[in-house]
Amino acid sequence: MSPISHKVLRAWAGLGPGFLPFADAATPDVPLRRLLRLSLFQVSVGMALVLIVGTLNRVMIVELGVPAFVVAVMISLPVFYAPFRTLIGFRSDTHRSALGWKRVPFIWRGTMLQFGGLAIMPFALLVLSGGGHSAEWPSWIGPLSAGLAFLLVGAGLHTIQTAGLALATDLVPAESQPKVVGLMYVMLLFGTVVSAVIFGWFLSDYSPGRLVQAIQGSAVATIVLNVVALWKQETRRPARNAGATQAPAPSFGAAWSQFISGDHAVRRLAAIALGTMAFTMQDVLLEPYGGQVLGMTVGQTTLLTATLAAGGLIGFGFASRVLGSGADPFRLSAVAAFLGMPAFLIVIAAGPLHSLPLFVAGVFILGFASGVFSHGTLTASMGLAPRDQVGLALGAWGAAQATAAGVGVALGGIIRDIIAGLASRDVFGPSLSGPATGYMAVYCVEIALLVATVFVMAPLAGGRRNVSFAGS
Amino acid sequence: MDDPNKVWPTGLTTGESEELHRNIIQGTQIFGMIAALAHLLAYIYSPWLK
Repeated sequence: MSPISHKVLRAWAGLGPGFLPFADAATPDVPLRRLLRLSLFQVSVGMALVLIVGTLNRVMIVELGVPAFVVAVMISLPVFYAPFRTLIGFRSDTHRSALGWKRVPFIWRGTMLQFGGLAIMPFALLVLSGGGHSAEWPSWIGPLSAGLAFLLVGAGLHTIQTAGLALATDLVPAESQPKVVGLMYVMLLFGTVVSAVIFGWFLSDYSPGRLVQAIQGSAVATIVLNVVALWKQETRRPARNAGATQAPAPSFGAAWSQFISGDHAVRRLAAIALGTMAFTMQDVLLEPYGGQVLGMTVGQTTLLTATLAAGGLIGFGFASRVLGSGADPFRLSAVAAFLGMPAFLIVIAAGPLHSLPLFVAGVFILGFASGVFSHGTLTASMGLAPRDQVGLALGAWGAAQATAAGVGVALGGIIRDIIAGLASRDVFGPSLSGPATGYMAVYCVEIALLVATVFVMAPLAGGRRNVSFAGS
Repeated sequence: MDDPNKVWPTGLTTGESEELHRNIIQGTQIFGMIAALAHLLAYIYSPWLK
């Protein structure tokens, strides 16, 4: 290598951290390289999520001809596992291990579950579609095995994410937590976007063989990513175990009631659930809204998703910076919820005005507000987690967040369908009989939910509470 | 080799090595079951690619 290119390379390497808002998350104990490696578990979670909600959703309906009702049930199965994240977190807090590990065993188990689900999924889906010789077998085998595959993947990704986030919280000191949260969200988004592109490209020339390759490839990728992520991350503390063997482990009920009696715990979880629901209801509706109401082409609506993601990315970076300098995460989340209201109003107004730039601007602000909101609430959950209940606290965050997101997406679709059905029969009068009415109704519900979120959050958004709130 | 609690050559204690062993056995069993189920489903779809 010539001296000049060597210098250029050096300059690039020096520039890198300056452009990443998360670079200074690297404390002397945990260098950035190690944090980046740890965050790979979020890539595997993002990959599994996009496979379930995006890629397979389409493949099952379009290529495999599975009835939409069955597809909806299958895709919603992983959500049913979300409330159990609290239990997973609690179990990892109190895990007894001779090796002195609390999180690694759970990340590993989650990895195996996700691998197992993905390994049987392609065959289960092919049998579900009734292709090949599967018609000669009893018809219950398809739905049962496909349901099992989706449940396994759901159980796996929820376990991985809960234990992984708890491990990240264990590793970094409180003042770097905002940056780590930003990094984790960015990696989740990165995993989602990159896998969506790869799956889309690989399956554009669909065949059953390619489906098997794509899904089983993602199963192998899950193992590789997560092993690399957790390799030499968690310190072994056999001493912790020696102390714990004497004291009996608290029951889940006792630990939960201790957690829930903590400072505004119920209010915090309610705010997270309401806000998440408000920001996710339109998730699967923005693209059809763009297509049906604003007449966008398929390529243009795909760019819409990119705009939303870009807004989210900037939101994560912004929140990392603001929270890193000591701002109150709940106040920031409340501001984000406030910002969401005009964003929805802009999106609504873009319909009758037929203004594409207005719509794109609204979507961008929405992505930004949603990113800041998610970042703020997770940072708050991490910061307020009692030191011995980190897993339980993050499990509760995940349960509220993932359940609300799942219910939100489903409710958004249902509300749109019902209102659109009523509108097309002129129930609301001729001026509201167009296709836009169903979408408008959902956006209005989301604005109402945001108002509720701000009200629930108001008492929380005081001055920043003591971060190490353990034992109070 | 002097410490009777340590298992040679890894330096793990007996309890630690048993835990590792348990995980390996469990993992193998789970992988085996997954593989069997995947093969069964593959057979149902296309009996050995016929």
